[in-house]
Amino acid sequence: MRNDLLIYIVRRLFVGLLVLVILSFAVFVLLFISPGNVVDVLLGAAPRTPQTVANLRHQFHLDKPFLVQYWIWLRDAVQLHFGTSNVTQANVVTELQRRLPISMFLGFYAYLITLLLGIIPGVIAALKNTKNMGRLVVASSIVALCAPAFVTGVFLLFLFAVVWHLFPIAGAGDPAFVDRLWHLTLPALALALPAAAFVLRHTRASVLTVMNQDYVTFARARGLGWRRIVLTYTLRNALIPVVTASGLMLAFLITGAVLVETTFSVPGIGLLLVTSAQVKDLPMLQGLCVVVAIIVIVANLLADILYALIDPRIRLGRKTA
Amino acid sequence: MSEVAAQVETLEAPARRRRGRPSLLFAVCLLLFLGVVFLAIFGKMIAPQDPSAQDLSQVLIHPNGAHWLGTDALGRDVFSRLLVGARSALQGPFAIAAISMVLGNSLGLLAGYRGGILDTLLMRWVDFMLAVPALLVIIVIAGALGASYWLAVLVLAVLTVPVDARVVRGATIEQVPRPYVEAAKTLGVSHRRIMFLHIWPNVSPVAVANAFLIFAGSLVALSGLSFLGLGAAPGTPDWGQMLGENRALLFANPWCVLAPGAAIVITAASVNLLGDWYYEWIVGRGASR
Amino acid sequence: MSAAANGHDLGGPLLELDDLRIQRARDGGTIVSSVSLAVGAGETIGIVGESGSGKSMTAKAITGLLPPGVVAKGEIRYRGRNLVGQTERQLRSVRGHEIGFVLQDPFTMLNPVMRCGKILRESLRQDRRLSKDEWRAEARRRLAEVGIHDENVIDRYPFQLSGGMRQRVAIAAALARDPQLLIADEPSTALDVATQREVLALIKGVQEARGMSLILITHDLRVAFATCKRIYVLYAGSLVEVGDADDVAAEPFHPYTQGLLLSEPPADQRLRELIAIPGSVPTPDEVATSCTFAPRCRWAAQACVEGSPPLREVGARRLSACIRLEEIRPEMATLRGLAQLEADPVAAARSENPLVVVRDAQKIFTSGGGKVAALDGVSIEVGANESVGIVGESGSGKTTLARILVGLEKASDGTITIGDVPAHDYSKLGRKDRQKLRSTVQIVFQDPYSSLNPMLSIGSTLQEAVTTHDRRARNVDARVADLLESVGLPASYAKRRPVALSGGERQRVAIARALAVNPQLLICDEPVSSLDMSVQAQILNLLAALRAERGMSYLFITHDLAIVRQISDFIYVMHRGKVVESGPVEDVLDRPQHEYTVSLLEAVPRSDGDWLVAAET
Repeated sequence: MRNDLLIYIVRRLFVGLLVLVILSFAVFVLLFISPGNVVDVLLGAAPRTPQTVANLRHQFHLDKPFLVQYWIWLRDAVQLHFGTSNVTQANVVTELQRRLPISMFLGFYAYLITLLLGIIPGVIAALKNTKNMGRLVVASSIVALCAPAFVTGVFLLFLFAVVWHLFPIAGAGDPAFVDRLWHLTLPALALALPAAAFVLRHTRASVLTVMNQDYVTFARARGLGWRRIVLTYTLRNALIPVVTASGLMLAFLITGAVLVETTFSVPGIGLLLVTSAQVKDLPMLQGLCVVVAIIVIVANLLADILYALIDPRIRLGRKTA
Repeated sequence: MSEVAAQVETLEAPARRRRGRPSLLFAVCLLLFLGVVFLAIFGKMIAPQDPSAQDLSQVLIHPNGAHWLGTDALGRDVFSRLLVGARSALQGPFAIAAISMVLGNSLGLLAGYRGGILDTLLMRWVDFMLAVPALLVIIVIAGALGASYWLAVLVLAVLTVPVDARVVRGATIEQVPRPYVEAAKTLGVSHRRIMFLHIWPNVSPVAVANAFLIFAGSLVALSGLSFLGLGAAPGTPDWGQMLGENRALLFANPWCVLAPGAAIVITAASVNLLGDWYYEWIVGRGASR
Repeated sequence: MSAAANGHDLGGPLLELDDLRIQRARDGGTIVSSVSLAVGAGETIGIVGESGSGKSMTAKAITGLLPPGVVAKGEIRYRGRNLVGQTERQLRSVRGHEIGFVLQDPFTMLNPVMRCGKILRESLRQDRRLSKDEWRAEARRRLAEVGIHDENVIDRYPFQLSGGMRQRVAIAAALARDPQLLIADEPSTALDVATQREVLALIKGVQEARGMSLILITHDLRVAFATCKRIYVLYAGSLVEVGDADDVAAEPFHPYTQGLLLSEPPADQRLRELIAIPGSVPTPDEVATSCTFAPRCRWAAQACVEGSPPLREVGARRLSACIRLEEIRPEMATLRGLAQLEADPVAAARSENPLVVVRDAQKIFTSGGGKVAALDGVSIEVGANESVGIVGESGSGKTTLARILVGLEKASDGTITIGDVPAHDYSKLGRKDRQKLRSTVQIVFQDPYSSLNPMLSIGSTLQEAVTTHDRRARNVDARVADLLESVGLPASYAKRRPVALSGGERQRVAIARALAVNPQLLICDEPVSSLDMSVQAQILNLLAALRAERGMSYLFITHDLAIVRQISDFIYVMHRGKVVESGPVEDVLDRPQHEYTVSLLEAVPRSDGDWLVAAET
């Protein structure tokens, strides 16, 4: 049984790696075919002579065949050499290292808020299930789902930074924990609200489904206490679909992070992605893609493992004795 | 974002219960949505001022009789831009929802009914799409190929079709082993007829409800792109873009930021609620059972 | 809480229902219009009814487990204490401790993420702490009581056990707090035939050993007769007859009870004709102001529809709701005699020219890396105008064989010939051959509810069936009307949607659809097992009539030996993908050779108590 789990993890890891290679290739191809001469961008205002162009082409391996270029890039990428930004001349890896902690902080903060605002009200809404409660939950969660992070962000800014001066209007603050927490509260909230609406709806639906199951009726028929049924039956079984959805939630949070960091001018990797796209900073985009892909793959893997641990049917397979 | 909403839809379905008469909320949503559609078609004619006319003498004024929502940093009338922006808000999502309805439904039906390689390929494609956040893909593509509204629409459609196909495939797979389908097969009814005449009508509640969700999701995603400056061309009246451009003006004239934001949320939420209502109505009618 | 402490003497009833009514809160629709009954200590009663009779809701109401939106009125007295309207907390002292409850479906009743040991443990009284060893010994003892002697079951998850094992674990859990009364709601219906008898015997055995009271809810009169002392027959939400099992079995005192008894074919003889009850079960509100059975009763008179007749005493310990009982008793007896007339013996010789020949058919399914042989060298023949039965439990491969014959699956190996067309793989055939096969063989499926497209009207479904094989068909509407008529439905049904039809009516339409191409062979895959008992007989009679009329061959697939006896000339018994025995139906059922056939025969419910005794091991 442990072995099964291990094989499962190794297989998922392998698939993840494969996805990563395909993705990196796709990104490389995309940027390879991108219009506009890279040399022009690289030259910028510098004088253009055949010599400088040839130098640049050689320096960036642009004179090599396509596959060789990819191979060189991949070899460097594995060693975490993504080169330097062709706009700001900053080292890509250094830049990522500087910004990643800020985005991670924001992400985890938002994740916590999501669980807090999603699961607890979701369970309560299911346990106190009335017609009006159902409507309220569905309607409000739809509104929250449809309120993209940048709109929520602007409204939060208006309320808490413009009308009441409770939170700072922009930036990530200094690395000290409290200052960062203070700066990132509004961004995290804006990021978490739609995700929390999603989790809330999901939790409520799956708790309601579980409560209608025969095994809950049978537990009641045996005289088990209400609290016991809620804690060990409803919650555990209801959280299984919520856990499986956490991969989706991650995509949600990452997408949202790009918008939120732009809204609040938080110097994380999301903002970097947007500015790099706006100015066509190709090495930076490549590095960002790989980093984001790794985050997504690892997080999905973790969600799968958690799922297998919670649900014995996945872990042991549906064999009958 | 549409994939998340779609997921909610499929998981929520069994827990739903029939609802009675259309509620007040539904009427409000329908009116709002029809209003936005009207603006998308006739907005240019009824806008009180030229949405693109700059008036540098009238910069950042607060709402008054002439400018109901004030003006932006270039002196353009925010209210007029809001009305005209409805077109940019609806045309892309409409195209995406229509493409998904045609392509996604056909692919999903085919994959669910036939199985085999097509099904495997589709599912791998979807797994991949779900792991890669759609907005990021568009940002990277926009970064490489240059930003454009219709490019974003195209890419978003490409990313949405498999997700829609998966929803339809799931519903189709539920129908295929049912005896009514098998009876049609044993009678020798053609596969095309079985797919489109027998299975599709039974899958359509899910498919149509999903189209609403895709519409709302694309609206939000496209305005997000415009907000980042990677969607609608600069200068176009577009809600997302207004929000992005005027973000810094929150102190000077909050209306030019808050109004387009509210417009996005209200429109997307009404479409979403309409889809929700449609699904409950059709399922409540008992037609899908 | 002992009876003495409660101040009640042991002689009085343990549980009494007094005018119990159950309604839907939303629209006030009636589920149960009135039920009164009493269970004494150590007594066994059976509540018998078809789907829609309200029997399950009655059981749920007793322990306050009605689903949301359903309310009970009247009185449910347990040792004198009224349980109606009590709070969840108050009911907890009754549930499990006093009244145990076993649900129908063992596959959904146990928490899928909990080991069986844990389910047992949480079910025990929580008043004393057990050490790990003590607790394990207790679990072993509890499992042994329900006939599980494999200690490993404690550490298994429910999904790792078979249906019968799960039901045993569930019974052990329901009994863990040693209740005085056990309510078992169709405890064997979801199980395989052989397991059904074991589980019923187990419940009966435990009841006797513990001296506990038992309420058995079932749709099968014979099961109730064999298990219970007193019988309550429920129809459309109200009781129509009450009596001791032996008396009711000897002479039913209500036309419905008699109709139900006669609808069930016996396993030991072939009858000339089954006496079916026409129509289908109404909702309680449709028959609120008349005798509930009046619309389907052959003896219904004006008096029967002029008010809802109460239960009245009609003999020693016997109640009936039939107001005309005294008048019609002789006629009922005549009908019973008629129903027992045996059919002429069927010709034992097989048909000269076989229509279908299956030789060494193999079907291998690969699932999760493993290979399962659904068919393992099966050879059968079906002759022209012959009715052949295939008998077996789920997993025997009988349905796979049927699906291969109609081209829904391919055989992995072996030869299949239908007419003169090779049919082991439809996809390798030319268009013409395929067309020919499809107009030769048609199939009727088990589940009437999903066998019609809910979005198409009955008329469109039948039209499609007609035009698929005859593109230039004229008078399609007239042919649809003919088809409907041939299965006993009015032509006006063409306009209806499947939602508006009862299960029996849908199955008739499914048969009509198969008849549209005038097939030579009709495969019937458990066509009546999803239907109510009173409707089953109608469909069996219809199939018999259609065969006589059209001279078709039947391949009748069923798990029910009694049914196969009525409808088939020659049978094959299948077990785990192999044919273990075959021969003329009388030979096989009267003188079974294979032990598997013997065990199947024993599993068919019989009214006498001996039926369960043999299964106790």
